[in-house]
Amino acid sequence: MSDKTDLTHEKSKIVNGMPASPGIGAGKPWIFPRKGASVQPEKISDNQTESEITHFNQAVEKIENQFRQMADEADDTEIKKIIESQLLVLHDPELHKSVIRKIKKEHFTAVFSIFDALNEYITMLESADAVWARERTIDIVSIRDQLVMAVQQKEQEEFQLDGSVVFAAELSPTEMISLSRSKISGIVLHKGGLTSHAVILAQSLGIPCVVGVNWSKLNPNQHEHVILDGDQGEVVFSPDSAMQKKIDERGIRQEKVRKEALKWAGLPSETKCGHKFTIRANVEFENELPRIKTHGADGVGLLRTETLLLRAKDFDVKEQIAFYKKVLASADNKPVIIRLFDAGGDKLLDNYETEANPFLGWRGVRMLLDEQKLLEQQVEAIVRVSADYKGEVKIMVPMISTLTEVDRMKDVVESVKEKLIKDGVITDVHIPFGIMVEVPAVAMMANEFAKKVDFFSIGTNDLTQYTLAVDRGNEKISKLFRPSHPAIWRMIKLIKEGADSASIPVSVCGEMASVSEYAACFIGMGINELSMTTNQIPMVKMALRKSELKNLEKLAEDVCSSGSVKETEEIFSNWKKQRV
Amino acid sequence: MITRKVTIQNEAGLHARPSSELVKTATMFESDFFIEMYGYRVNGKSILGIMTLAAEKGAEMELIVDGPDEEDAMEAISKLFNESFGNE
Repeated sequence: MSDKTDLTHEKSKIVNGMPASPGIGAGKPWIFPRKGASVQPEKISDNQTESEITHFNQAVEKIENQFRQMADEADDTEIKKIIESQLLVLHDPELHKSVIRKIKKEHFTAVFSIFDALNEYITMLESADAVWARERTIDIVSIRDQLVMAVQQKEQEEFQLDGSVVFAAELSPTEMISLSRSKISGIVLHKGGLTSHAVILAQSLGIPCVVGVNWSKLNPNQHEHVILDGDQGEVVFSPDSAMQKKIDERGIRQEKVRKEALKWAGLPSETKCGHKFTIRANVEFENELPRIKTHGADGVGLLRTETLLLRAKDFDVKEQIAFYKKVLASADNKPVIIRLFDAGGDKLLDNYETEANPFLGWRGVRMLLDEQKLLEQQVEAIVRVSADYKGEVKIMVPMISTLTEVDRMKDVVESVKEKLIKDGVITDVHIPFGIMVEVPAVAMMANEFAKKVDFFSIGTNDLTQYTLAVDRGNEKISKLFRPSHPAIWRMIKLIKEGADSASIPVSVCGEMASVSEYAACFIGMGINELSMTTNQIPMVKMALRKSELKNLEKLAEDVCSSGSVKETEEIFSNWKKQRV
Repeated sequence: MITRKVTIQNEAGLHARPSSELVKTATMFESDFFIEMYGYRVNGKSILGIMTLAAEKGAEMELIVDGPDEEDAMEAISKLFNESFGNE
């Protein structure tokens, strides 16, 4: 950590954010310019108005050409749609009238007229009640800045960007696309969640990205070199040689393992001794679908629907059916487990009142049962799709904590189904009905719940958080979030025993399933179905294929009888060592 | 000039995608097109204007079309509203 060995005058610094798009990127920091504050209300004389209007028209034409070129190069329909809507803004007749009026009547420069005219809309959108309107603001801001720069004849310095790490507060989709045309090494964002357009595009463009880093006070420009790790969510400023080495090694290792593991993707899921298991994919975005096949998943073990529903904002049945069908087509006649909308009220309602404890609050099934229309529309879409893909679709309900919720949800599914049969829309179809086990109360009474449902899926993130009473988003206590805590493993054992008592299958779809040593332990416990993010599938499959069932069983036995976190962690780390 | 009253039926209101559809359709016609909502009038060919309405489900608005092809235009525009912008 010494700055003496460092050539720059700034000290090394490590900052943690949220991992958003995998891979390691390194380079010179480059701060994305927001022109906003620097435009002054300058006046022009009468005889300059015509030339200022020409400048404006040329700027529009220039940006239009850039957009059209981007659309031509993109092979993604989502990207084309985004650009199309940006073009509508660029050619907005009222915007043009307003800019020209400001130049002609008020004698402002083209730059200020553009700036002022768009800011009027930006202010209105920022204060809109509807979330979608507020979210569009960044798109309008980006058009404003592009036009301003075009009139000022300032090129976006694309050619200098190669190899640099981009720092931005947030990015619009078109900014993201245009950045990706230069060979940038990575992106660090302050705002923008994991589901923002920018992040989704970073993932599909293969650009490492970390979000949630408030970098403005860190003066990235003062540093010569920055490294970001999109797998860990780490940003390192002016790394010293030891840090650099560590990250380089980690990068090489991650890349090597990824490549090596991919070779295992297509092989059958069975241990060295021939014991069969199943690995399915956790899927949230459409662009992940091709990886179901390339990464060797046996169908989809967890289809997250909240992003789809939130982005569409209409929970309309037709759009949902289209999405589910795409997923089923990609799953190649293998099962797809659709988890009903799993989010808190904060995601759904604009006039939502903040809860003191959102994770203990109105979310998952609790919200679904109160929002009948949303629930019925989603169930209808799922039922209609399963009529076309018989035996492949399963329904999974999140955040169950009581048996009554199970009964009520089953009633909803039945009544939706009956109505559709009565209306002649579908013929009868059996849709397996399962629940997420993520609340300790359900684990404790797993045998009772098992009598009422067709399958369990263990959501380890929430189960860990609720069992250990640790909010892992809280930095002060995040060290206490330990999936290796024996209490978690004993809880999982209870769930498995409960499921066995009614002979229903159990799977694990939380993050723990994607960690090879935990996955090994699950198989050893007799939990033969795992579901994880597609990128991790080859690695886990490789580790399990190299193992003997009897060793996995021994591992599970040791872990479940362990008396402390320390002991469990030793068991896992020994197991890893033996494997290497 | 012809006018017609419509109600937004989309669950999420007249959000980004329906606004784009509306502008694209309106722009195909020569006639002027305005939307009036709660005493506030915007140019229906302006995506920015429509977005600032932030019209929610159940919002009532008056469509005003004026020009040589006003009947065809009104027909095409009303159809979008009646079919909830192709969402049903």
